[in-house]
Amino acid sequence: MSAATFPLVFASDELRLLTGLVIGILFGFILERAGFGNARKLAGQFYLNDMTVFKVMFTAILVAMVGLFGLQAVGLADISSMWVNLNFIPAQAVGGFLLGVGFLMSGLCPGTSVVSMVSGRIDAWVTFGGIFVGIALFTLTVDWVPGLLALYQAGSGEVSLLPAVMGVPPLALVLALVLGATAAFMGAEKVEGIFQRRSSPVELTPRNRPGVKLVVGGSLSAVVVLALALTGPRPDLPPLQMASVAPLSLAQSLIEREPGILILDLRADPEAERGIPGAVPADVESALGLLSNTPTRTTVVVYDENGRITEAPAGWPRALDYRFVAGGLSGWRAEVLTPAEPSGASLAEREQVLRQNQISAFFSGAAVQTVSVTAPPPAMAAGSAKKKKSGGC
Amino acid sequence: MKAKEYWNPYVAGVALGLVLLGAYLVAGNGLGATALPKRSLAVVGSHLAPEWTAHNTVLKSYVANGANPLRDWLVVEVMGVIIGGFIGALSAGRLATKVEKGPNISVRGRLYFAAGGGVIMGFAAALARGCTSGQALSGGALLATGSWIFMLMVFAGGYAVARLVRREWT
Repeated sequence: MSAATFPLVFASDELRLLTGLVIGILFGFILERAGFGNARKLAGQFYLNDMTVFKVMFTAILVAMVGLFGLQAVGLADISSMWVNLNFIPAQAVGGFLLGVGFLMSGLCPGTSVVSMVSGRIDAWVTFGGIFVGIALFTLTVDWVPGLLALYQAGSGEVSLLPAVMGVPPLALVLALVLGATAAFMGAEKVEGIFQRRSSPVELTPRNRPGVKLVVGGSLSAVVVLALALTGPRPDLPPLQMASVAPLSLAQSLIEREPGILILDLRADPEAERGIPGAVPADVESALGLLSNTPTRTTVVVYDENGRITEAPAGWPRALDYRFVAGGLSGWRAEVLTPAEPSGASLAEREQVLRQNQISAFFSGAAVQTVSVTAPPPAMAAGSAKKKKSGGC
Repeated sequence: MKAKEYWNPYVAGVALGLVLLGAYLVAGNGLGATALPKRSLAVVGSHLAPEWTAHNTVLKSYVANGANPLRDWLVVEVMGVIIGGFIGALSAGRLATKVEKGPNISVRGRLYFAAGGGVIMGFAAALARGCTSGQALSGGALLATGSWIFMLMVFAGGYAVARLVRREWT
């Protein structure tokens, strides 16, 4: 088990709210300095003569992304206990498109309209009034306009992160995005050059300084590579010894649907015999992709045919808690799937046997189906169980 | 006083990224904007029609168990944006009561577009559970799948109507 430093835990709710004020002030100030209090400047993005929106937004996304995934890789940050937007893809796609349409009509988005309002822009006050009306319109209609509620609620409603969807280590994707975006920034400035001959960007826009994006892109890449180096397999580290878990106690956890358990089936031939319900078949290599996307507080239980794997393979993230099933699958078969012989005279011993037989009946009888079908994917259960923070925009 | 030049976009981007990173590390939350109008609506609703508000799909979670809808990190954060934006505009000499518009549109026409765009955005942000800040920027940094789709669709929507509203801006 590991307890990451970030996000911070506050002694009182007031203190945490106060950090929101400070961060908001900085957010507003920077939006203003970027030029986002000016609707004409923002609209320039869509007439290709001023790509400031794209540059600022993507640079910010990359910086925060490198920081978050870098700190997670070295065990300082725990992304699974932060608020992540849940997956409601149809609503996000339709809402995104409409927001883009409204964005260009207003020249402002909700956040920038606030900055523009306090800069004194009348169009921003009108926009913000419109936003309020639009939210009210959705709120008033969502429960009775046919199809709207279905669109609003369609989708898994779970946390879904791209590295897990694509099956790649997070830092590899982050590095690819940093390099791709740096190339895109160069392309954006080429496009700006062409369209600025037709119409120039708004007053006060600084001239392009080609070196800056290379310095930013280069430094971010360097940070990612450093984080990768710090997490990669280090030959001088002693092998990570796993603790064992008794098949019966694992069975008990499965019946109680304890969150935060990921079971990996590391047998050479997972098809040979039915494995432990809910286990993910994997080999040492393919498990790596899965584990690097697993929340840090997850208990990873592995098993092979007969419990020979007792050390975590080199390169597996060391922040996770690893256990091996004592005796492997044969241990599971012997302890969980085989009813115990009635033995022992004392009441406690007989209760123990009875309990064992209940567990055994659960996994070898009809109940097996229910467990393997309805049990949520363990890694996800760990992530969503802790979500308590407010989300949205 | 002559207004200051805007920051280099990459410098502004790095600064914004550090603030976003700070928000996640300190409070475990991203940045947002529509939380304030949305939760204000919950306050209005709970006074005018408490029964309806308590059962509305969007608002019910804000008023559950007698909670104060405005006691929320994102609401306080937007209040900060109001202060920070004002300090920014004041210190850069950019405070001015005026309408930003292209040369080929009347003030009235521009304000109609601003209002219409605002209504569409409010509806869209409520539907998508977030706006450019909450979905695209914050969710984008965490590589949330739906947020990336949202972000691509925002750009698609903007470019789709760019030709239609050309007179408003150029």
